[in-house]
Amino acid sequence: MKPRPARRGPRRAGERMTSVIRARLTYGTTPAPTCPVRLGRMKGNALELRAVTKTYGPITALGGVDLDVGRGETVAVLGPNGAGKSTLLSIALGLRAPASGTARVLGRPPAEALRAGRVGVLPQESGLLEDVRVGELVAAVAGMYPDPPPPERALRAAGIEELARRPVGRLSGGQRQRVRFALCVAGDPELLVLDEPTVGLDVEGRRALWREIRTRTGQGRTAVFATHYLTEADDYADRIVLLAGGRVVADGSVAELKSLVGGDEVRCVLEHADPAELELLPGVRHVSVEGRAVRLRTGDPDATLRALFRGYDDVKDVRIEGVDLESAFVSLTGRRSR
Amino acid sequence: MRSYLRLELVRGLRNPVGLVMLTFFPLGLYLLWTKVLDVVPRGQMDDFAAYSMVSMATYGAMGGALFIGGAIAMERSKGWLGQLAVTPLPAHGYVTAKLVSGAVTVLPSIVVVLGAGALLSGVRLPAGTWPVLVVLIWAGVLPFAALGVAFGYTLKGQVANLAMMIVYFAMSVLGGLWLPVQAMPAGMRALAELSPAYQAGSLGWRALDGLPPTGTSLTVLAAWTLLFCALAVWRYRRAL
Repeated sequence: MKPRPARRGPRRAGERMTSVIRARLTYGTTPAPTCPVRLGRMKGNALELRAVTKTYGPITALGGVDLDVGRGETVAVLGPNGAGKSTLLSIALGLRAPASGTARVLGRPPAEALRAGRVGVLPQESGLLEDVRVGELVAAVAGMYPDPPPPERALRAAGIEELARRPVGRLSGGQRQRVRFALCVAGDPELLVLDEPTVGLDVEGRRALWREIRTRTGQGRTAVFATHYLTEADDYADRIVLLAGGRVVADGSVAELKSLVGGDEVRCVLEHADPAELELLPGVRHVSVEGRAVRLRTGDPDATLRALFRGYDDVKDVRIEGVDLESAFVSLTGRRSR
Repeated sequence: MRSYLRLELVRGLRNPVGLVMLTFFPLGLYLLWTKVLDVVPRGQMDDFAAYSMVSMATYGAMGGALFIGGAIAMERSKGWLGQLAVTPLPAHGYVTAKLVSGAVTVLPSIVVVLGAGALLSGVRLPAGTWPVLVVLIWAGVLPFAALGVAFGYTLKGQVANLAMMIVYFAMSVLGGLWLPVQAMPAGMRALAELSPAYQAGSLGWRALDGLPPTGTSLTVLAAWTLLFCALAVWRYRRAL
């Protein structure tokens, strides 16, 4: 992250955040090749969106999105409900046409890449045929891809080998989600696009699914997923694209996103705390006081702590916490994740 | 594409509801008329057994063709088409697989009723006529397959099935598949002769006497097929 500019005296909390976001917005819309996030590129991008907009009547679902996903990356698309995540993914898949702008997948128009069997998708809402066996369904979808692996591999990846002979109509919700994942990877495609892939799965199921996805990205496959579970983005994504109001408000690694919001948080208990005074401590970007509980968001926790102990004799219960993704999400989108 | 066609064929051939509706129902009606009820005077029984055999085989095949659309409507409303849209299967691949598997699954309803005619109701025809009957009845219900697809891409779920059931029965009755058009008043009969179901039936009825289809039959069927195909293509494009 950029070094923090010198203190400029007290100001309102929102102010600084806006300017930070704006800086990142610029980054989001004009990709800088020198940016540390853009590592691990192979020839050509897995996914490219250029100035993509989409409107539904008077509603702007996407207001000019630029996005490059390099091959081998695992990218999480996050955002509050209605931020445009599903619209973005459906344009990236060629299921919907953008109002303006272009989308390319693996160097060609998305619909073409899909038809050529280069992409595997787990859509957010989709049905399955009820009157066929799980194995039959997976085999039929695998057979649509060029040179597919044996369907048993997808069944194993989804942890449903033992359900192969069960009719789809008799599966539970979680089992159905596993079938949908098996369909997504049935053709062992180069790009995986997953919209809320772990909905309805138990903890073990989630872990297994992510293990499979990571195995594939480890082999050079690319994964783009939308999720509501911030911990999943935190644990499994190399990079997070944060959408709000149809725009990319932040784009970077998990660590970058967290530091964007203010690195660390110093928490302490202080009698008669004066927020305006605390704001003047070195490194502090944002102060919140609730009764005696004080939270100082700081870019330089060492300097903040030193000054805190020097200036306030009665300070106690001092702790440092890293900013979690949840706070980053809330600060950057202005909304709660759920 | 081929793997999906295989799946559709498997589904079509082991679908118990379809089998009962489209094979055993016409078969039951046929046996009721020729073996149980006293519908026609003794001397005309042979003619009637052959005539209604064609009627019921056509009726069953027509249902099979129409209800291709019922399955489409159902799968559309259940979201299966949403899932297929993100596979490499091209959009026309689905409807093609449906039509091909539909074309195969109507065969049992034709063969079973013809078999009952030959084995149970004493219908005797020259050996060459039987395969001709199968082919003519099969080809005669083509317009209904197109109509079914149009329905399938217009309505969703059970509404489509209900609407198609009404159309199915109305067309069967008007087309003289249940009761011969000879029993209809003049106005209704004129209308019947313009209907696709009657012309589909008449292909088979004439074949019983060794006669080829009339030009009128072919023209009327071709016109309905074109019309329903245009409708189906329009609805299909709208639904994508």
